[in-house]
Amino acid sequence: MEHRWGMSIDLDRCTGCEACVVACHAENNLPVSSPDQAEKGRTAHWIRVDRYYEGEFPDVKVKYRPVLCQQCDNAPCEPVCPTYATYHNTEGLNVQVYNRCVGTFYCANNCPYTVRFFNWFAPEWPEPLQLQHNPDVAIRPAGVMEKCTFCVQRIQRGKRDAAVENRPLADGEIQPACVQSCPAEAMAFGDLNDPESKVSKLAGSGRATPLLGELGTKPKVFYLERAK
Amino acid sequence: MYLMADFREQSKLEAAILALKAAGIDADDMDVFSEEPVEFHRGILDRPSRMSLVAVLGAIASGGLATAGVYAAQHNYRLVTGGMPVFSFWGTGVITYETTMLGSVLATFGWFLWESGLLRKRDKSIPVPTVLPGVMCLRVHCSDPHVTRARQILDSAGATDIARKEVA
Amino acid sequence: MAASAGLLPYAKIREDLFRPLSKGSPRYWITICAAMSVIILGMAAWGIQVRDGMGVTGLNRPVFWGFYIVDFVFWIGISHAGTLISAILRLTDAAWRKPVTRAAEAITVFCLMIGGMFPIIHLGRSWLFYWLIPYPNPRLLWPNFRSPLLWDLVAILTYVTGSVIYLYLPLIPDMAQLAEHNVPWRRKLYRILSLGWTGSDREWHALERAMKLMACIILAVAISVHTVVSWDFAMSIAPMWHSTIFGPYFVVGAIFSGIAALLLVMGTLRRALGLELYLTKHHFNNLSKLLLLMSLLWFYFTFAEYQTVWYGNEPSEMAVFASKIRGPYAPFFWTMVFCNFVVPFILLGIRKLRTINTAMIASVCVLIGMWLERYLIVAPTLGNPRMNAASGVYVPTWIEFAITAATFAGMLVLYLLFAKLFPMIAVWEFKAHPVEEN
Repeated sequence: MEHRWGMSIDLDRCTGCEACVVACHAENNLPVSSPDQAEKGRTAHWIRVDRYYEGEFPDVKVKYRPVLCQQCDNAPCEPVCPTYATYHNTEGLNVQVYNRCVGTFYCANNCPYTVRFFNWFAPEWPEPLQLQHNPDVAIRPAGVMEKCTFCVQRIQRGKRDAAVENRPLADGEIQPACVQSCPAEAMAFGDLNDPESKVSKLAGSGRATPLLGELGTKPKVFYLERAK
Repeated sequence: MYLMADFREQSKLEAAILALKAAGIDADDMDVFSEEPVEFHRGILDRPSRMSLVAVLGAIASGGLATAGVYAAQHNYRLVTGGMPVFSFWGTGVITYETTMLGSVLATFGWFLWESGLLRKRDKSIPVPTVLPGVMCLRVHCSDPHVTRARQILDSAGATDIARKEVA
Repeated sequence: MAASAGLLPYAKIREDLFRPLSKGSPRYWITICAAMSVIILGMAAWGIQVRDGMGVTGLNRPVFWGFYIVDFVFWIGISHAGTLISAILRLTDAAWRKPVTRAAEAITVFCLMIGGMFPIIHLGRSWLFYWLIPYPNPRLLWPNFRSPLLWDLVAILTYVTGSVIYLYLPLIPDMAQLAEHNVPWRRKLYRILSLGWTGSDREWHALERAMKLMACIILAVAISVHTVVSWDFAMSIAPMWHSTIFGPYFVVGAIFSGIAALLLVMGTLRRALGLELYLTKHHFNNLSKLLLLMSLLWFYFTFAEYQTVWYGNEPSEMAVFASKIRGPYAPFFWTMVFCNFVVPFILLGIRKLRTINTAMIASVCVLIGMWLERYLIVAPTLGNPRMNAASGVYVPTWIEFAITAATFAGMLVLYLLFAKLFPMIAVWEFKAHPVEEN
């Protein structure tokens, strides 16, 4: 049975600390921006934490929502890429092929979650961060679109290790960087095709809703929150 | 033998053509040269054309080929999609339509080049009259027995400057 | 009242229409040089963009499309000038179109050539643009034909091919005439282009039949081309893009801007080439009325679109709507309405005000307005995505201005060269049916 990777994020546990953002940067060789590029809207955060404020001071409530690529089963970004640089693989991941991307930007325009990022310049890192690169992840050149991959390099390694050791994958063995680093343990990652996995159980619980589900994108990231 | 006669009025030219046809000269042996198109009345110098048919055939061929190509290309990828199908006429319809139109454009242009004679090998010995503005020149290809009769017709029709050119 | 050109002797007509093909005046060459310098600046700007990356433009997340796409839609839109005038008026047998056809068809071809460059210019990795073309390759890869961008490619290629042929066909008889008296290198050029045209009735028949067929085909293609361009937007699910009105809306807008461009070009040609007797008040009057009609039609479509959005009150669409009507894009929006509707309505709707000069003013306003309209379609929607935490504003840089300016200069140069090499009014077509009075 093929895997079908999914994720759940518990919004009642999320503290908005953004450890997931930093972990993602470290794991996936994300380029570091500068203050004026950030002002122009050019930063790349494959996972970002959106803040929603309710109420007036002093009764302000803040809600945090980490947003990352939802790996939609009915992804709007897939049919519009003219070179098939983004397509759906058999494990349910929306895959971005860096060396096939010519930079038409159509996928990013069609993504309702705005989770796609473009390499506006050749990536740069201030010293000594360029020594910290992850060798399992490609460095994207200028002109190419990128986004969260559910840490596909970790998925591949996990599958390979299990195959070498001749055993099935255990639930929770593969963890993307964000899931691994969350101090509140708000995130879970696993195989949605396995009914016993933590993610399947959480996704099936009454607290799970997909983001912008009404659009029919069939996202595979489930947000858990107390039902109102 | 080529006879070339200049006319200044279309009615006289048409009368001459009808008379020549009555004398047994084929419409294929007659050509009218002018600096602007002459709108003949029906039945005088009709040239049957297959251009519309060629355009339609070219359109169908091109559109069909392109759609088949797209079908093959899209099924070449074993894509997993959770939503839209890999191939459907809704999506490919535009390409089918445009390539159909492209086929008809190219077929029309190509057939025009052929039907007008522009692309065919020219027989250099056949004389081509230099046409002055406002003048319509009728060139008749006829063999010896008909030549005198043709000359008479052209004269009585009111042609000016009837020239004669021998062809080897 | 000037004498009608149909009463002029043929020799004079021929002389007037062939005179512009002689050596260029100093004013001509200065204009070309000035335009070339703008073009070189634009090319340098693009070179910088290719070398340094798309970051030198004002594009950002979430506004991933900006000036280049606006220019693309704008130029492809103007190209509908030729098709409307040539094809529709040819099919309806309107004699007044005769002096205007070639100028219009030339606009079409050059606008398509210029507009067709933008899908390459706007790419993040422009040098790999050929991956969109289906060709057998060792990687066994084909492009994605489901993508509207591929539909764009096929549609524009078809339209360019059709337009070039449509421009070339009626040019052949003129080439044959020009091949007779001219400078040696030109004579050779014209002779090659005339394909050995002798003026026989077979050739005329074939030509007229081909023109009739091409008129129908090119009309069908033109409507589909701008519809397909509009589907780049309408096929996405972005708020205020995903609207079924985009197909017809863009076609109407294209014809609208096309007529404005044609009016502008004609007015300039009239003065520059001394064609007052051939491009008469009558032609400008008719074109002005057409422009007014298209203005009303444009207003109708725009009003329908915005009214529907406003009444539906859907949050993500209203965010875009508000940014256009009241927000940062409001000055552009109301300028657009003024230029596209108010100005033509006043200047062209009131008969006393409808002159050649006011028609030119209205045309310039319409061109500005239509460029703004394309801008207002692209930027506000992208700047206000569904996840409003990701909103952004688009501020273009000099690179985008330079490249945009270069395309206008490029159009000017192409047109000037064309006017020098080929007669702007088809002599043979003009004579065949005498022009009516003004």
